[in-house]
Amino acid sequence: MSAFGKIIDAVVPVERNEIVRSGSSRSYGYLRLRLDEPIPVLPGQFAMLKAHGIHEPLLRRAMAFYRQERMGEKLDVEFIYQILGRGTQELAKLAPGDKVDFLGSLGNTYDINFAAGREASHEALLVAGGVGSPAVFMLAEELLKREIPTRLFLGGASHGDLCGLNDFTALLGKERIACATVDGSYGEQGFVTAPLERQLKALAGKPAVIYSCGPDPMLHAVAKLADAYEVPAQLSLEAPMGCGFGVCVGCAVAVKHDCPANSSESFVYKKVCTDGPVFWSKELHW
Amino acid sequence: MTNATNSQLEVEIAGVRFNNPVWTASGTCGYGLDMAELIDLNKLGGICTKGLSAKPMRGNAPWRIVETHGGMLNAIGLQNIGARAFVADKLPELRKYDTRIVPNVFGYTIEEYIEAIQILEEGEGIHAYELNISCPNVKAGGESFANDARQAAAVTEAVKKAASRPVIVKMSPNVTDVAAVARAVESAGADALSLINTAVGMAIDINTRRPRLANKTGGLSGPAIKPIAVRCVFQASRAVKIPLVGIGGIATTEDALEFIIAGASAIQVGTANFYDPSASMKIVDGLADYCQRNGLKSINELVGSVVVD
Repeated sequence: MSAFGKIIDAVVPVERNEIVRSGSSRSYGYLRLRLDEPIPVLPGQFAMLKAHGIHEPLLRRAMAFYRQERMGEKLDVEFIYQILGRGTQELAKLAPGDKVDFLGSLGNTYDINFAAGREASHEALLVAGGVGSPAVFMLAEELLKREIPTRLFLGGASHGDLCGLNDFTALLGKERIACATVDGSYGEQGFVTAPLERQLKALAGKPAVIYSCGPDPMLHAVAKLADAYEVPAQLSLEAPMGCGFGVCVGCAVAVKHDCPANSSESFVYKKVCTDGPVFWSKELHW
Repeated sequence: MTNATNSQLEVEIAGVRFNNPVWTASGTCGYGLDMAELIDLNKLGGICTKGLSAKPMRGNAPWRIVETHGGMLNAIGLQNIGARAFVADKLPELRKYDTRIVPNVFGYTIEEYIEAIQILEEGEGIHAYELNISCPNVKAGGESFANDARQAAAVTEAVKKAASRPVIVKMSPNVTDVAAVARAVESAGADALSLINTAVGMAIDINTRRPRLANKTGGLSGPAIKPIAVRCVFQASRAVKIPLVGIGGIATTEDALEFIIAGASAIQVGTANFYDPSASMKIVDGLADYCQRNGLKSINELVGSVVVD
């Protein structure tokens, strides 16, 4: 069965947990969290996190799982996040031994079966920008495990914004990664969509699928290329979330809708948290 | 250990018996079932569903929420599946739980309220209605019903005629005199009042100089509004005889007790469900412990017990 779709039955607030490693630079933070209760974690899924015991800010922060590692009876999960506001500033203060308020695993996963294909596998093109890249790491691992040809297109403002570059290089090898930075400090200068477009041209109609996560303008550009080259694309979206499990309805995204003839409504709002975060680009009403 | 059937916590509102006074608030627990993975719905006194209209609603464009100090603003735009889908798809499953089901109902005209109520009347297992007359998010082509005592009374009276079940009217804090509106709604036949709905607020992005919500303004909820809510409950309790259900920033047992002492017979947990889904469960246990420690036979002994010289 494809795991793409709603997977709410594995949502657990794992209260017994502990930070085992943490670190931060000026812009990014890293957490390795040990969960006493191993929970299923699929590529593209996320957790809601907050430093335990703090009152402000109130809301937990949505964070994509980067990697996971089974540690005997326990499960270690890792996160890389951008330090942007009060919530992530509090998370950056976390040290080994600290606890978090944790809820996971949330959201759907990438449709990996699509890449596997019915007859021949598609080439998987992973396109990630900035702090979107952690959300495709486990996807890359899974694609490799299934022997699906995989390439990564990694973009960022500067060299330091290419999150997880070393881990991706160790996993995929340098020759399967194309980097682009806006300031030219690493890889080619410009946007990541340039090497992506060259690859789409080179494919010359061979079956491929795009899996992408990153800032909105990048996702829009990726969707446009996917359309132009007729390659299906799955995009993992980000949205402000109050709860992460579907009740606040704050993380709305407009999705195309087959409407009755007498209706002027060509879209409905779906929830990034429980209907997504992964959507086919063709579904989105942009 | 205490449990949900502990008779100390039983309350009766408008002839309906609730296992305990802890409900989840409209718009913070979906249609109830959305919380079933995270909490024991059987342990809740009641569930107020997401606001239901006669026809489904698409809701507002994003951004819909923004966090503020001690709370959040929302302008969801009352997105909902419609009363008919609730009765057909949600209610049969929801009513299997040992809790009280209180659909929250809204409309833009009195006729729309009646239409929604008529659809819900066909559903089995509903215990009461909560009437949203105060949601500040949706432009109804004028003031909301809640802002004018006569309008609030008019919609209450019309709904009472159409409803076979008790009607709880949800009050807005965005009025000059909450007691005056409470009295008007009581006179119009309301069985109980719930208060408060969100307080209208606004946040602006200083870099783009644009409102942070697509709707420009939104409803402020969370601990930040609790003192306003306690004041409204206190004022309403002096103005009317019908029972009150307290809402507004309740996240802990202490918060709940404050509302009960101010005059609320029951309370609703709202925004706390987002950042601590188990808040309502902790409050049920906490209230039972409080009764035990203070030698109360019933939580009802506390209702409106505020000491004012």
